[in-house]
Amino acid sequence: MVSRLGILTYVALAVRNLVRNRRRTIITLLTMMFGIATLTLLSALNDGWLSQMKTNFILSFTGHLQIHAKGFESSQNLRDNIADPEAISRFMDTYPEIIGWTQRIRTSGLASVSGSSSGVQIMATDPEQETWVTSMDQSVTSGVWLRPGMNKDLLLGKTVAQNLGAGLSDRVILMTQRPSGEMVSEVFYLRGIIETGAPQIDRTLALISLDGAQQWLQMEQAVTDIVIRADHHDQTDTLYRLFVQQLSEQVYEIMPWQELDPMVRQWLEFSDAYGLIILFVVILLVLTEILNTMLISLHERQKELGVMIAIGTQPHRIFLMLLFEAVLLIFVGAVLGYLSASLIVMLLAEGGIDLTGYANAFEFFYMDPVIHPQLTRDSAIKILLATLVAALLSGLYPAWKATRLSVSQALRIQ
Amino acid sequence: MSEANQSTIIQTRDLHKCYWVGTMPYPALHGIDLQIRSGEFAVLAGRSGSGKSTLLNIIGGLESADRGQAEVLGEDILKMGNSQRSKFRLTNIGFIFQAYNLIRVLSARENVAYVCQLQGKSKQQSLEIANHWLHEVEIGHLGYRRPDQLSGGQQQRVAVARALATEPKIILADEPTANLDSTTGRHLIELMQRLNQTLETTFLISSHDPDVKQAASRLIKLSDGQIVDSWDEIPQPPRSLEATCPLRNRPFTERLRHLFTPRRKARQQNRQRTSRHS
Repeated sequence: MVSRLGILTYVALAVRNLVRNRRRTIITLLTMMFGIATLTLLSALNDGWLSQMKTNFILSFTGHLQIHAKGFESSQNLRDNIADPEAISRFMDTYPEIIGWTQRIRTSGLASVSGSSSGVQIMATDPEQETWVTSMDQSVTSGVWLRPGMNKDLLLGKTVAQNLGAGLSDRVILMTQRPSGEMVSEVFYLRGIIETGAPQIDRTLALISLDGAQQWLQMEQAVTDIVIRADHHDQTDTLYRLFVQQLSEQVYEIMPWQELDPMVRQWLEFSDAYGLIILFVVILLVLTEILNTMLISLHERQKELGVMIAIGTQPHRIFLMLLFEAVLLIFVGAVLGYLSASLIVMLLAEGGIDLTGYANAFEFFYMDPVIHPQLTRDSAIKILLATLVAALLSGLYPAWKATRLSVSQALRIQ
Repeated sequence: MSEANQSTIIQTRDLHKCYWVGTMPYPALHGIDLQIRSGEFAVLAGRSGSGKSTLLNIIGGLESADRGQAEVLGEDILKMGNSQRSKFRLTNIGFIFQAYNLIRVLSARENVAYVCQLQGKSKQQSLEIANHWLHEVEIGHLGYRRPDQLSGGQQQRVAVARALATEPKIILADEPTANLDSTTGRHLIELMQRLNQTLETTFLISSHDPDVKQAASRLIKLSDGQIVDSWDEIPQPPRSLEATCPLRNRPFTERLRHLFTPRRKARQQNRQRTSRHS
């Protein structure tokens, strides 16, 4: 004998049971909604600022992938350079994932303007190629971007310019070591001020053209970095694998953006862990609320469930019915919560949440002072799965308890 | 198997049941030997606490016994698991309860159709059967109402229709008229009698309603868990409390608890319970 009590009958029974006690159902749904909406909002904020942080970090300076001569990242010595960058550059057109690349020379040095000095990170780049990789050209707040062929042009980070008291057109002397170890200095003219939004860059950056730097430092065609920008953040790993296959690891070091700044990587990992903790706590609260509701409901319906078993309902069907009821309650609450949070995120996404007052606290982490919350597919799946698990967990115990019901005792309840 | 045995539909042998509240035993059945034959309209009579409902519940597989056998349609229902009992009840036994016990969220028609669907019939077929039986119990026009929109008598008729819809061989009714006024009660008795005669369904009813007793084709009187008078059964000699509620049947922890419960306290608990129940 196979029961014909299909899924629709269970839906109908579950809905009617929930409607029967409207007030309790509404209160439980509101709690659910609030819980899931809070979770979704927190998740959207987290995803929003993490995404901003990634983008800021990648676009402000590092690109998605960097290729150096072996050992350069730790030594920061110009002797560890890529003498023949063209050997690598020929790969760039073959990978469609690459939308831009540039060559750079990076070294530390000293900048002086009429008596005042400041330590700087000298970066030499190709003025045109750089614009395909980072957004530094758009970060020029006064003056102009590096001009091709103008080898004496210099751009300074906003803070370093302030510290030096340098204004546009001022003579700035840069001093550093050649690969040979010889100390050299050169006069440059300040043509622009850059504000990337990443204070540690703005505090140290001294930007000059690649051709000028190669001549000044006598490096011929050599560079220290080849910086690559992928079409999308997710393609970094693919490109990394491709270059690892193509280039000898004895000669080159290939570094994805996550490795270029361990602090950023740790911060991203911490944020993921923090997000999971929040998810766990909210789901635990939701689970407790639903469990409470289901147990009260079970207590109130003992007699009815006893009758259902007495007239021939198999205990496992009672189990399914109650489980379905819990899942339905959580599902409706979760959908309503998610939709209401989505609405709030939509409203906030455009203008963002202005945390300018707290910007100093976050400046180290490439955060924008205005956070634009965003809902991602990964977070939605995470929330959905966690809700489903909570629904099953909160429904399992009452449903199991119902199957252990003493029918005769249940029938005696007045 | 003799012809006499073939017509026996329910048979209990030396059935014992004792309830325990904490360390206090409450004997319910003292060795019940009972035979019900197919097509009977048998009534279990007796005062409250005489064991009528317990006997009915054990026969219906809703409760287990401490000792003895309860064969229904040739199968020992006490040896079945919970799931097996559910299936057995669904096919062979219909229940009518004192408090109607309809499913509140379903309409009268859906309440009756529910058991048919449990039996594997399609929804359409189940609803047709439900309509038929609701007409049969003379409330066909009330099929779309929910239980809380029906009077007590109407709800009990729905319960009768639900009990009959699976075409069971036995109907067990526990005080079916207790919550009804006398006129409605009499109508219900007439209805059950008519169904007993036309469908030859065996009815075993527990009741202390004189009208029900009067309608019985056989009256079985119970007192303190024993059959004291029956047109067929031989009254049994009184049995001791220890014989019905042996402490050895209790779990070890309960036995230990019993050992350490001061007798004075136990007597006090008993008095309190007695006063609550009286």
